[in-house]
Amino acid sequence: MQWLDAVIQGVLLGGMYAQYALGMALMFGVMRIVNIAHGDVMILLSLIAVSLAGVLPFGNLGLIVVIVPIAVVIGWILQKFILNKVVGADPLPSLIATFGLSIALQNFMLELWSADTRSLPNSDIASASFQIGSIYVGLLPVIVLITALVLTGGLDAVLRFSRFGRGLRAAAADTEAAAMTGVDPKRIYAIATAIAVGILGLAAVFAALRATVSPSDGSAQLIYAFEAVIIGGMGSVWGAFLGAMVLGVAQAIGLRIDPGLGILFGHLVFLAVLATRPEGIMARKK
Amino acid sequence: MTSKPHHTEVIRATRSSRIAMTLCLALLLALIAMPWWASSGNIRWAIELSCYIAIAQMWNLLAGYAGLVSVGQQAFIGVSGYLLFVLAQNFGVNPFVAVLLSLIAPAILAVPTYLLLRRLDGPYFAIGTWVVAEAVRLATSNIDYVNAGAGLTLRVMTQYSQHEREIGFVLLCALLLLTTIGGSYWLLRSRIGLALTAMRDNPVAAASQGVNVGRLRFYIFIAAAVGTGFAGAIYYMAQLRITPSAGFDPFWGSMSIFIVMVGGIGAIEGVLIGALIYFLADRLFGEFGSAYLIVLGLLTLAIALYARGGVWGLLQKWGDHAWFPVRRKLIVEDTP
Repeated sequence: MQWLDAVIQGVLLGGMYAQYALGMALMFGVMRIVNIAHGDVMILLSLIAVSLAGVLPFGNLGLIVVIVPIAVVIGWILQKFILNKVVGADPLPSLIATFGLSIALQNFMLELWSADTRSLPNSDIASASFQIGSIYVGLLPVIVLITALVLTGGLDAVLRFSRFGRGLRAAAADTEAAAMTGVDPKRIYAIATAIAVGILGLAAVFAALRATVSPSDGSAQLIYAFEAVIIGGMGSVWGAFLGAMVLGVAQAIGLRIDPGLGILFGHLVFLAVLATRPEGIMARKK
Repeated sequence: MTSKPHHTEVIRATRSSRIAMTLCLALLLALIAMPWWASSGNIRWAIELSCYIAIAQMWNLLAGYAGLVSVGQQAFIGVSGYLLFVLAQNFGVNPFVAVLLSLIAPAILAVPTYLLLRRLDGPYFAIGTWVVAEAVRLATSNIDYVNAGAGLTLRVMTQYSQHEREIGFVLLCALLLLTTIGGSYWLLRSRIGLALTAMRDNPVAAASQGVNVGRLRFYIFIAAAVGTGFAGAIYYMAQLRITPSAGFDPFWGSMSIFIVMVGGIGAIEGVLIGALIYFLADRLFGEFGSAYLIVLGLLTLAIALYARGGVWGLLQKWGDHAWFPVRRKLIVEDTP
């Protein structure tokens, strides 16, 4: 029963990681860029949410309505002023640029919010739970998981069926050929980043509701998102979702064995997948 | 000049390189002589600066030539530091000898790391190295034999007098600089250097010219790991203490990226300039803490966006005065 509980908690934790991972999978899929400041942007949005919660009278879920547009704007700025200048075959410029941004952002948050851990004020949703058999399940983690499912399904549908999705897949396959057929890569990139960071806005509110956040947490979130994407299989949105589940379960099981082993177990599963099935659990659909 | 119709000659040294070489040798001798003329505080600084230069040059070799961007070099710093402490403290090996023996650890760690991570695309490779470093850090903090999260102290150093220690340290630092900077220079001037430069400019074209890109990357990754580990072992030996959070600190990665990018990637000169800038900035502004780091981060960002050659790249625009020229200049003279 203890292990079943670990698996369930792991899947619920995976819901959180899936929200971090979706944006990363999307941005890498279309631009071959990994934004090293991915986790730091999420933490920034969380801290903005915590600060706004004290001022705005909307309640916690109402915050999402405010944070997601802020996230989209941040994504647009990121794309316009940084990522557009470093998109290219050479991975070095984009890595270094976002790495520098990550250091600057982390320390900027440290200056502004200090190193304290913060979270959104406790609400009914955050503390509510229900019982299945002898296992307690928190209501908020279930909402997070369902949101992740809806986001993954929605993103997958957008990529498959919408005009934007076709353009994105074309630009990802061959930027120049796509440009010749009337797709504007810059526009596609901008929308992709806006969606990616917008999803992070949602994740940021959930993260601050679920647990605490502090300015230096960003790197860990980046690593979890990355591990989920690789475990699941590069280039597939559902792969990122599944990878997040595997990562969450691995960490939850490790945590039950020894409290010091949780995160290490996640890393080990990642390395094991890389050793045995480098294309990921869900191989890329061609 | 001979009287043959075509006299050809390959020139590899320039006036600036001769001056630079003389200066480097003089500085190296001054470093070795430090215990007899400098204060302990200054020797400490020299050790630190030597380690920065070595670690940054190893990163430069990876990112600037082999096209392998790593943000996890701290893995190699930590493992060689730890092996040094275990050998010296638990097995009674002479610590100065143990520094050299501890280089086995990064070499052994680098092999599976590279073989696993080479499957990842460029940017994902970078974060993969970070995961490896984090995994090694977490594993270390769970091993009771090395005192878990509390870390180790190098008590055996008390058997040496201050003066003896300082002599040992400056000799190790001189060896470190000779192998990392001197070794890189020798490598870049050799046949492999031609292959590396070709690879830096275009890996696909280099492969088509007969460069075995995969194998060369593998060797460079291991060499860089060993060089980084060497610096790490010396650094933590001088600190007399190592903990998982210090030895595997991601800040080592940030530091090497900053030094190489600001100084100028793909050039040994850039590393020396960058290390000096970082070292001075750290002394002058380190007390400002996070505000100082915001500036470092923004500077790195700006360089990636607007001046990828760094300070050395800007200096190059005023004229070619390479300190460490790796080019071959062909002189063909027609004699009447």
